[in-house]
Amino acid sequence: MASKKKSESADETSSALSTAPAKERDRVREPAEVRYAHELEALRQNDPTPPPSPWKLSPRSVLAYVLGQKKVLKATIDGAVVDVPITRKFFGDDALVERAIVTLASERALLLVGEPGTGKSWLSEHLAAAISGCSTLTIQGTAGTTEEHIKYSWNVARVIAEGPTPQNLIPAPTMIAMKSGTLLRFEEITRCVPDVQDALVSILSDKAIAVPELPDANMIWARPGFNIIATANSRDQGVNELSAALKRRFNYIHIPVIADQKTEVDVVRERSKELLERYQIPGPIDEPVLQLLATVFREMRTGATSEGTSIQKPSTTVSTAEAIGCALDAALYARFFGGGVVGPADVARNLVGSIVKEDMADVGVLKEYLTLVAKKRATTDPAWKQFHEAAAKALG
Amino acid sequence: MNERAPHPVVDDVLTVPLLGAGLDIDAVRAATAKVLADDVCWFPVRHHSPTAALHLRKAMLEKRPKVLFLEAPADANELVKHIVDPKTKPPVALYVSYRDDDNVTGLAGIASPSPDVPPRFSAWFPLMAYSPEYVAMKTAAEIGCDVVFFDLPRSALIKEHETAGADGDDHNDVEDAGVDGDDQSEKRGESWEALAVRSTFYAALAKSAGFRTWDECWDALFEDPGRHQTWRAYREDLAAFCAAVRATTPRSRVEQDGTLARERFMQKTLTTTLQERGVDGKDAFVVCGGFHLFLDRDDVVEPPARRPGTHYATVAPYSSFRVSEASGYGAANRAPQWYGLLHDACDDSRGGDADDGAVDAMLKHIVAVLRQGRKEGDGLSSADAIAAAQHAHLLARLRGRRHPVLDDIRDALISCCCKGRPAEEGAHLVQAMVHAEIGNAVGRVTPELGQLPLVHDFYAAVDSLDLGEVMGREKRLTLQLDLRKEEDRRRSVFLHRLVHLEVPLGKMLDERALAGTLFSERWSLAWSPKVEEALIEKNLYGDAVETAAAAVLEEQLAKDEVHAGRACQRLVRSLNMDLPGMMLRLESACGKAIDEDQRFVSLADAVVALLLLDRHAARGALAREALQTLIERAFGRACFLIPDVSSVAEEDQSAVVAGLQSLAEVLLGTSTEGLDKDAFVENVSNAATISTVPFLQGALRGLLCEIRAVDATDLADRVAAYARARPDVLVQAGPFLDGVMAVSKTSLLLGADALVAAVDELLRAADDDAFKTMLPLVRHAFERLHERQRDALAGHVAERYGLREAASITKLETSTDALAEMARIDKRVATIMKEWAL
Repeated sequence: MASKKKSESADETSSALSTAPAKERDRVREPAEVRYAHELEALRQNDPTPPPSPWKLSPRSVLAYVLGQKKVLKATIDGAVVDVPITRKFFGDDALVERAIVTLASERALLLVGEPGTGKSWLSEHLAAAISGCSTLTIQGTAGTTEEHIKYSWNVARVIAEGPTPQNLIPAPTMIAMKSGTLLRFEEITRCVPDVQDALVSILSDKAIAVPELPDANMIWARPGFNIIATANSRDQGVNELSAALKRRFNYIHIPVIADQKTEVDVVRERSKELLERYQIPGPIDEPVLQLLATVFREMRTGATSEGTSIQKPSTTVSTAEAIGCALDAALYARFFGGGVVGPADVARNLVGSIVKEDMADVGVLKEYLTLVAKKRATTDPAWKQFHEAAAKALG
Repeated sequence: MNERAPHPVVDDVLTVPLLGAGLDIDAVRAATAKVLADDVCWFPVRHHSPTAALHLRKAMLEKRPKVLFLEAPADANELVKHIVDPKTKPPVALYVSYRDDDNVTGLAGIASPSPDVPPRFSAWFPLMAYSPEYVAMKTAAEIGCDVVFFDLPRSALIKEHETAGADGDDHNDVEDAGVDGDDQSEKRGESWEALAVRSTFYAALAKSAGFRTWDECWDALFEDPGRHQTWRAYREDLAAFCAAVRATTPRSRVEQDGTLARERFMQKTLTTTLQERGVDGKDAFVVCGGFHLFLDRDDVVEPPARRPGTHYATVAPYSSFRVSEASGYGAANRAPQWYGLLHDACDDSRGGDADDGAVDAMLKHIVAVLRQGRKEGDGLSSADAIAAAQHAHLLARLRGRRHPVLDDIRDALISCCCKGRPAEEGAHLVQAMVHAEIGNAVGRVTPELGQLPLVHDFYAAVDSLDLGEVMGREKRLTLQLDLRKEEDRRRSVFLHRLVHLEVPLGKMLDERALAGTLFSERWSLAWSPKVEEALIEKNLYGDAVETAAAAVLEEQLAKDEVHAGRACQRLVRSLNMDLPGMMLRLESACGKAIDEDQRFVSLADAVVALLLLDRHAARGALAREALQTLIERAFGRACFLIPDVSSVAEEDQSAVVAGLQSLAEVLLGTSTEGLDKDAFVENVSNAATISTVPFLQGALRGLLCEIRAVDATDLADRVAAYARARPDVLVQAGPFLDGVMAVSKTSLLLGADALVAAVDELLRAADDDAFKTMLPLVRHAFERLHERQRDALAGHVAERYGLREAASITKLETSTDALAEMARIDKRVATIMKEWAL
């Protein structure tokens, strides 16, 4: 929630702004601006055009950061000249990223819409890190999010003692972003009730927050560079639909589910590699296992096999993020309970939990897939044989 | 002009890909310089490129050549005067056709329906008002310059049968055949763009610059009118680009697709024309695809000659839709209206400005899209237009462009105006974008050109039948006809004749639904340039729509006399087309075909067609007795052929089942007098017994049930029998049930209890593997039923498993005191809710 994030935000911002941010190993996860600090710094040093104030990088360098580039950059990091490769962070349609960057440079805010697990938050984090050097000014939308979480609240004890003063005001991430001219991330905006969402209308149109309790300083104005990246799950559409007034202030960018096998394998490979490093699990997952994993998820998602057979689709979301989660679970299983190397059987054991969640009828869907598809492939492909046997065993 | 103008494309964009494709940039520059230093002024263009047209016009006005050589088929040269006639308004198209009367290509029977029908080939060359070729011709007329079409006639490009076979490339062969009215010239890869897209240079360029499509690449490099300050700079940049494409295109490819043959013809025509007319090279101007600038000037091989046969060329009205990609035209213009807007906004002779014109055009286009979107129901405001324009500018800048190109504008509109998925929430917007990009312009050709007799007769009929509303616009019109009215009957006859001639003006709606109605027809009419194209093609059959229709019918009749189904369907058509002379001939042909035809499906089709005719007999002055005899003969022969089709291959099964259903429907109908139901039942029963195909067994048994020849419990017994069979037989219940459901719907529900019990028994008997083997077909079988029928069956299943109808549920008894207490509580709750303002 907002209040939990804000105490760390100042530290993280300053950390990201320094040229040599120290990596803290005792954190489960570091924000993008810390994890990729060297890449961001290298891009800053090599930026071909001056960035629009107060962006940290020019739009082209932001694009290069998100999509990666072949050219390895030379940069001075911690006093030494080093080669810094720029890795690809987002896999999918490059034009989507271009449109997102351009939106953030314009008057309108950005709303990334898509199925769960399509990388909306991931893209949002990297855009904020590259543009503002800070991805942690975040509001997580829920049914319990209030206007205070968006704008500001008060230190009640001090207000009782001293009355409302600027010092007693506790700014929410939006206000911090406005004051510092940075990007605010608003996750799952459509989970907030409409009244709370509408608090954003004046922020986006007037670029200001009114504080009526402070007669002498009752307007907080946004500095240039302030904008909002919101995300919304397309499965939530219609629950708390944005009002027409708010819709008008957002450019929507729909992030589709990855359709082709190659891109999905790329995503699972890159993201699982990163996660394995974080959990200190040695070695990447072999390519054939990744291919098998991506194939299973893609076929179950689309309801059709590569041979053209129609199959049932599970009720749960079979996203690329789920595939990445399945790959990590399989690697953890192999590391601690298996032979150390991730095989098709490890994938199969962990697949059940990814597919069967709320609806037990999905057991039948998975069984059908195993019988109609995996079993047939198992007759000619040893990897599929291992997969089929382990999955059938896991399902009982 | 000796000083070198800036060349933004070569200087800024091409260096990396040239290196990527292994090319030496200096060599490319040298090749370009050599061509551009030629006395003759070679001007490279792309079809429908407005910017090329703008620069080209400036070049011609400055150079004032005496002869203009244009890349268009030489045998259409006579048409130039009609194209530039002020009464001709683009979009129009050059149309050339060739009929191989003596089968010199050896393609009769391959590219034509039969060996005795000569193959016909045709091609279209569309011209928009801003097409460089059209602008060049208009400018030539303005400055008194002769125009010479110097491309090889189409007929010379057709590959002979033997040659085509030797290539071993079936795909190319089919396209080379270029039969009947398709835009084969473009599909065949004659457009140099097709070669460019496949060149390694373009691949390297797209990769390094991030172009998603060839169109985006072209627009970014060559469709920004202000990017090149002079026509010379534009020409030099484009020529260098084409030099790189040419250098990375294998010679075998240009040899195979006919490019070399065409270039030999171009070079020869150019040289001989200049010699014959005594014109100096400096007074000649060439407009052609950029690829051809680098043709081999030392090639001494003779070009192929025009083939003997019937050649025809004309100019016909065309439409912007037909020029667009949406129509499937090979070398399409993806947004004809948008490029027209761009051209006009940048044309200084129309008050436009090359530098600001692109922005002006973009704003007009965005406003047009939003206006159309509002018509479609989207709430789009001026604020959206402003946001989209700003977004397009920023996108263009991010992508390294001076001004937004169409791709940037499309992306901007989607970003700013589409609140969700483009295919769903943005469907109206996308439609509006397509509408604004393509437009609905239709061209006109000068009356001086004259019309072919069939075309003339067609337009005369359109006028006399008051169908003029549909002409000259690509808008669909629905026409309801009452055949009891004389004018509507004449319209119906005319439209049926056009359908038979394959002239795509109208399509009959609800044909099946109206099959039983005697006096109603509904037609959907829409004019398109294809109408004129088909009329030109069919002119060879006759001078009037009526005689041409009769001639086509005659030709078809000669081809398959022994096909009862087709013969009888033609009889129906001749009735609809009001061709009484043909009907008498067809009636006798039908009798012969019915007697000789050994195909069940064909005979079943014949029965259906004859019954339809019988209903309309009064209208067509047909002898009903003769018809009744034909029906009985066809029905009887079809019945006796049923056992022959009891075990046909999978690909023929659906046609057989459809034929069986047709015969069953006939028996269930009202006109069954004289039809032998017993023979049908007996033959279906025999077929079911001898059939080895479970799906057909199911269909045949289901059919018997449907015509009440057997009881539904019989079907259920057979399903239950599978349950008690060996596992390998048990799994055949899947296709059997699929066959049953394919034909039997109503009767099935009558015996639903028994069938549900049988299926239940079957599923209980099947082990896991057998169940999963049967599952896809059982699922498919039940999906054949209508939702209501499925619900009814589901009701039987529910009942079988203990659920009861609401009516049979025991009513909950309660006391009067309890009811009074409940009413009191209810009232109290209502009061509380009222207090709470709920």
